[in-house]
Amino acid sequence: MSLFGSLDVSASGMAAQRTRAEILVENLANADTTRTPEGGPYHRKDVVFESSATSSPFSSVFQSAIEGQASGVQVSQIVTDSTPPVMRYMPGHPDADKDGFVAMPRVNPAEDMVDLLGASRGYGANVAAMSAIKDMIQRSIDLFK
Amino acid sequence: MLDGVGANLEQYMTLLADRQKLVAANIANADTPGYKTKDIDFQAEFANALQGIQPNVMEVQGLVVKNDGNNVSLDREARLLAENALRFNIASNLMRGQIHTLRLAIEGGGGSSS
Repeated sequence: MSLFGSLDVSASGMAAQRTRAEILVENLANADTTRTPEGGPYHRKDVVFESSATSSPFSSVFQSAIEGQASGVQVSQIVTDSTPPVMRYMPGHPDADKDGFVAMPRVNPAEDMVDLLGASRGYGANVAAMSAIKDMIQRSIDLFK
Repeated sequence: MLDGVGANLEQYMTLLADRQKLVAANIANADTPGYKTKDIDFQAEFANALQGIQPNVMEVQGLVVKNDGNNVSLDREARLLAENALRFNIASNLMRGQIHTLRLAIEGGGGSSS
């Protein structure tokens, strides 16, 4: 069963990287958002990855010592940037304060784009791993032919 | 039924599958802070596996540790991913040969083929 368990590991990596990409895209989309349901400008969000066991108690009975060591990954939390927003002078803006300053999100699009590239590469690496494992499973099935 | 080479091949393929899982875990955790690359000493563990000794996983030494404490090298993992797949490919072809021989014996030298 070990090869099928490996698929779970790669799948967890893909899910985590996709979540990361979603959060990064959200940051980029809200780079100029001054109104949020919580009030005030948008705050940048970031994901925290944590390694986690993918096997269930049932399957762990059948797995070898190695397999227990191989852990997948999960998003343990999504942290919101708490640094104060950037005050930009825009007197004509509807959300400007009495001095003409608008609180803008502290989002650096370049930073998020670089992170997005990393997430994309990470996703691709997991897909490559899954593809290699899938081939190995197929080889095993072909032994029956 | 599959004795000698066949049984060894089975151990070999099992160990390759286990190692591939470790590689998959390393790739999945390529961005996890504090994660350390895990691997097995394949040659030694294969010799152990033939004697029925359970393999043990170790952390790979000598890799560059990034600022977040993670030391996964995607290049290394990509190489191992390909290597394991190729080794598995070879082993499965050899295994298929073993099974073919067995089938020939069952079918009496290839009179009626399925």
